[in-house]
Amino acid sequence: MENVIEVKKLRKEFKAYSSRAGLKGAFRDLFTRNYKIVPAVNDINITVKKGEMVGYIGENGAGKSTTIKMLTGILTPTSGEIIVNGMNPHKEREKFVQTIGVVFGQRSQLWWDIAVQESFRLLKKVYKVSDEDYEQHMQHVIRTLDIEPLLDKPVRKLSLGQRMRCELAAALIHNPPLLFLDEPTIGLDVLVKLKIREFLKEINEKYNTTILLTTHDLSDIEALCERVVMLDEGKVIYDGALRELKEKWGDQKELHFQFLKKVNIKTVQNVTSGLPVEWEVDEKDQTFIAILEDRDELISQVIAKVVAAFKIKDVKINETSTEEIIRKIYEKGAVEVG
Amino acid sequence: MFYLSMFFQYLSQYLKTRLQYRADVFVEFLSDLLSQAINLVFILVVFGHTDLLNGWNRDEIIFIYGFFLVPFAVFSAFFNIWDFNERYIVKGELDRILTRPIHSLFQIILERLELESLLGAITGLAVMFYAGSRLGIRIDWYDPILFIIFVIGGALVYGGVFIMLACISFWADARTSLMPMMYNISNYGRYPVNIYNKLIRFVLTWILPFAFVGVYPAAFFLDKEDWYWYSFLTPFIGVLFFILSIWLWNQGVKKYRGAGN
Repeated sequence: MENVIEVKKLRKEFKAYSSRAGLKGAFRDLFTRNYKIVPAVNDINITVKKGEMVGYIGENGAGKSTTIKMLTGILTPTSGEIIVNGMNPHKEREKFVQTIGVVFGQRSQLWWDIAVQESFRLLKKVYKVSDEDYEQHMQHVIRTLDIEPLLDKPVRKLSLGQRMRCELAAALIHNPPLLFLDEPTIGLDVLVKLKIREFLKEINEKYNTTILLTTHDLSDIEALCERVVMLDEGKVIYDGALRELKEKWGDQKELHFQFLKKVNIKTVQNVTSGLPVEWEVDEKDQTFIAILEDRDELISQVIAKVVAAFKIKDVKINETSTEEIIRKIYEKGAVEVG
Repeated sequence: MFYLSMFFQYLSQYLKTRLQYRADVFVEFLSDLLSQAINLVFILVVFGHTDLLNGWNRDEIIFIYGFFLVPFAVFSAFFNIWDFNERYIVKGELDRILTRPIHSLFQIILERLELESLLGAITGLAVMFYAGSRLGIRIDWYDPILFIIFVIGGALVYGGVFIMLACISFWADARTSLMPMMYNISNYGRYPVNIYNKLIRFVLTWILPFAFVGVYPAAFFLDKEDWYWYSFLTPFIGVLFFILSIWLWNQGVKKYRGAGN
């Protein structure tokens, strides 16, 4: 299958100015300013094949948005090769953006004062979409996203969820083969999130649209993406299947105990001594958490011992969540990709 | 062709938006007229006492002022980029512009149309006719054509210089804007440049060529033959500065750093 995105040793550096302390420092800053060169994106390599849905995750300031902005031709890379849809995004910007759709969750693409359908009409002209194509394609989009009743309202009167659905529709007017979504579900309620996810899945199946998605909400990624690329301090620290990541890091279970009487952590530890268990206490609601390997036998052993020793109010068995896996990876640093 | 059709698309959108706020349009129209009238009174008062200023009489100076208002109105209508730094760089609106398949500067011009400003041209014309009739200026058949060419040239000079100033935002991350200062300097172009000293005259002719918005082209209609050479230079200076500004803009866009989320 052909590669839609090919990025080699992509790098973007920013100058970070720091100001000196005090009034004297301020005067010196007038003439020579201190600055450090900070790589926001540090020699990353990514390839994305046609039809893939890739989740791009990382903490705030990890370089996600900077990468997306380079891939969409907004920013010029400091160095490295970048080919998207067979073009260099920055060099052939005007021709290139015709082949992509972009949604920035925190910024509106629509015109604030005019009705949604007027925005659509204008964008249709901007992207030179023919009437037939527009009718055929957008009818479907409008129906699926359920924005028919919103079309004659000005954007400023829409709620965030309504606006996001319209933004998504606007990004698809020219039916681009590649879609960039930067935090598309930020601040949305569950129903709207589900609707947007379903819609994305549908266009991915119908048109084989490639989708690159950044989000803080890992449930988006779990619902949509086979593959995740994880970024930390401008470097790719994991690139592979979400499933593998879970298998490799999610091989633990957590047992949550709440006891009727006040119990000391030491005594609990003593009860399970000899078994490979780590104990943590959540002081707030007096929950004792046993972290152990995911082996049925071991789990029942631990439960049996604890139940025999103390009076139990509540017991829960939890699988490690994706969020926790991600947190663990960030704490440890890099992941060996395998 | 595509750009022309886009212009009309945006224009019709702009009109629709404006018509939504009827009261607003009306108030703005009134306040514009009022400020034009104040301008007019001001210039009549100021120049009421001076009969001659370095070889220019009162009506000639008023004529130049009237002429200046026309390209300035055209400029204000199409190059409404005073807040470029705030709106597009600091707030990051340029991100959106850059993901659309039209030249970025053209998009911004289209988005920021402010056609109400064209009203100023009417005041300008009125002032010119008033001063012109007192001076007994004849209108030849080629005058309207040259007038339009000079107005476009003058508007392009203004536009070019302001685009170049806006481009500074691409390099400097300062939030302060040079625009207010520039607005003051640009006002010097309304008065005959030979009343200033040589240095200011040189600056207003070749560096920040605001003299080509007012005095130089107006001198042609006032039959000041020793200024003709400058008058006919107007459209060329306009096109030159405008092309330079587009080139600078294209360089600047490459340096755009984007706004953080």
